[in-house]
Amino acid sequence: MTDALHRLLRTPQGVLGLLLLAVLVLACLLGGTLAPYPPEAMDFAGRFAPPGIKHWFGADQLGRDVLSRLLVGASSTIPLAVAATFSGALVGACVGTLSAYLGRRWDEAITRTIDAVMAIPHLLLALILVSTLGKGSTNAALAIAISVAPSMARVTRSVALSVRQQDYVKAAIARGEGAGWIVLREMLPNVAAPLIIEATIRVAFAVMLFATLSFLGLGAQPPASEWGLMVSEARRFMHQAPWIIVAPAVAIATTAICFNLLGDGLRDALNPRDER
Amino acid sequence: MSPVLQVRDYSLDYVTRGSSQRVLQNVTLSIEPGEVLGLVGESGSGKTSLAWAIMRHLPGNAREAPGGVLRLGDTDLRAASSKALETIRGRRMSMVFQDPSTALNPTLSIGRQVSEVLVRHRGLSEKNAWRAAIEALEHVDLRDPAGLMKRYPHEASGGEKQRVVIATAFACRPELIVFDEPTTALDVITGARILELFGRLRAETSVAALYISHDLALVARVADRVAILEKGRIVEEAPADRIFTAPAHEYTRHLVAAVPRPEHRLVTDQVEPKDLLRAEGIAVRYQHKPLFRPALPPATDDVTLDIRRGEILGIVGESGSGKSSIARALTGLADYDGGITLEGKSIGSAKAMNRAYRRAVQIVFQHPDSSLNPRQTVADILARPLRLYGGDVATIPALLEEVRLPASYAGRYPHQLSGGEKQRVAIARAFAARPDLVICDEITAPLDVSVQASVVELLLRLREANGTAYLFITHDLNLVRQVAHRIVVMKAGKIVDVLDMEMLKRGEIHSYTRELIAASPTPVG
Repeated sequence: MTDALHRLLRTPQGVLGLLLLAVLVLACLLGGTLAPYPPEAMDFAGRFAPPGIKHWFGADQLGRDVLSRLLVGASSTIPLAVAATFSGALVGACVGTLSAYLGRRWDEAITRTIDAVMAIPHLLLALILVSTLGKGSTNAALAIAISVAPSMARVTRSVALSVRQQDYVKAAIARGEGAGWIVLREMLPNVAAPLIIEATIRVAFAVMLFATLSFLGLGAQPPASEWGLMVSEARRFMHQAPWIIVAPAVAIATTAICFNLLGDGLRDALNPRDER
Repeated sequence: MSPVLQVRDYSLDYVTRGSSQRVLQNVTLSIEPGEVLGLVGESGSGKTSLAWAIMRHLPGNAREAPGGVLRLGDTDLRAASSKALETIRGRRMSMVFQDPSTALNPTLSIGRQVSEVLVRHRGLSEKNAWRAAIEALEHVDLRDPAGLMKRYPHEASGGEKQRVVIATAFACRPELIVFDEPTTALDVITGARILELFGRLRAETSVAALYISHDLALVARVADRVAILEKGRIVEEAPADRIFTAPAHEYTRHLVAAVPRPEHRLVTDQVEPKDLLRAEGIAVRYQHKPLFRPALPPATDDVTLDIRRGEILGIVGESGSGKSSIARALTGLADYDGGITLEGKSIGSAKAMNRAYRRAVQIVFQHPDSSLNPRQTVADILARPLRLYGGDVATIPALLEEVRLPASYAGRYPHQLSGGEKQRVAIARAFAARPDLVICDEITAPLDVSVQASVVELLLRLREANGTAYLFITHDLNLVRQVAHRIVVMKAGKIVDVLDMEMLKRGEIHSYTRELIAASPTPVG
């Protein structure tokens, strides 16, 4: 594992991704204490204050400090997106590996079901789920997890199919092992590397999907300072005070870029065969 | 007359992550016109690197030491520009690769690939090149060359493809041809025919060749002189007929000693005719019957064999003869029709195999790289069968000791072991179950001869200690004649011959078996 970290630090994408990640983690952990103002403190005299010394990123339509809201909002945006992706990825990985292990008719049935679910666009699926489950951050995260799972299952299955052909899996079958052991202990650890890469890149999508849901009013609810919600609320004042929309938009974009870079770096780091 | 190829004082390093590793050290050799020089070395000795260095196609991390000379006729290959090399490769020197299935482009027809070389290097028009290509294919004894020209590589057999590659290599009458293990990926009989062809073409064209192989017995038959490469150094160079009779260097002696000689039996005891396992009418099918087409023929058809207690039963045959399918049926990896009886208890199908049967019948696979889970330590790998079949995990050090590995290896991961060590771990895993029968599916094929000899020796020692029976599946007839009590010969899914050593000695054998024996190169002298 330390080996992989070393290799990650030798790629420019890895270094940049890790740096951005460190900034984001810092914002998530210490956002509340670092923020210069309380996120919901209104100041009617300072409405639409442009970026300056008092408000670094300006103030919004209610005079709330944008930087403070961003910092506090980080902890309600990123952890949920990461948690949603990785739980969805885990479920998808198990289903995909199981499908590859069982093979034949079971494989066919599972893959066709996945195909059917994947025919529904991510956003639409998330929308349907949220409108069924009800509004709110947790339900939005759940919806994201469910919409991530099928595509992860698909990726996993293709990797697991080649692992299935390996002799150590055959050896386990010949030894009389159960399906649970073979899927979880023999196969899953060997499909983990491409999965981690894939999941990391998907975090970027999840952040954006989460922001989109909040933007549409189905995720976090006001007065929360979730980034997507901030964009949504600032939309009406786009021409009057563009900084209110630019700041959260840039934050979302940075997060997406951070996880994309990290995914790229991990792809090189976890495939030590590309030594040349 | 000046030599066709001259390599003098040539050294090569590979640079990986800042550290550099020497793969060739002051290699000096030369090939006279019309001469075949055999280059023999174990894996990792740098023989393929030398071939690529001569062809001037080295990987990006290769660093050549200054001062070394590579000369083709009067041309200094190291000084040649990439433009000049384009006209040299294919025209003045060409190469025949190990695996014909990857040496041809799957998206181009065979005709295009052969005629392209002729257009490029002999300046023929498309039409004339096509005609010349047909001639070239005819010349390598291919049936229906005109028809073959229109086919794609996947529509030709391995032997046919290798003939196409050879025809392409000879097409421009090069001065030098580099052969990199041209028969290793082929069956014994197909390989033997390729060698016959090589001998004939050589006599006709008197081309010079560098013949690279790991198989000393084979090289001694095709080459005029043999050079032995050990860890990047040439340790001995001698005429081919001298290498077996009077090896001078210690390493050569070691290699010669490791080559299996059928007349030198390693097993001398006799087994009582007491059945351990009996397989009756085993038929393995891999595909269900397609809806609108006739069913495919089964991989094995109605195979009946019995293994006695403590016996070594060899199964030989070409690839596709169904010998591995037998192993898969006996271990429950493939569904089968027919019946298996283990010590009087009948096992009707793969699903009916219980823990007692699975404990008694263990398998060791061909590729040690893929038979050990890369994410588990050796201790994890060995602990599993112990827990499953009621052994004691505390015996792992003893188990490693039994296969002659240090107990400290328990904490290692497979990628930290060499090929031979991995195979020993796989054998230890099989013996952890205290089995009655171990199926060895080509377990020595991917190993170097010297490692192969030590693995075979280990197996025999384990058998002596535990009284285990072996089902020894291999294509190496020389090896199986050294160890097996009886040999089963398979062809196209059927058993054609079952013989014991007495019958072999008396020559009471099937014609196909005779053909196999003739095709297996035995050490001369």
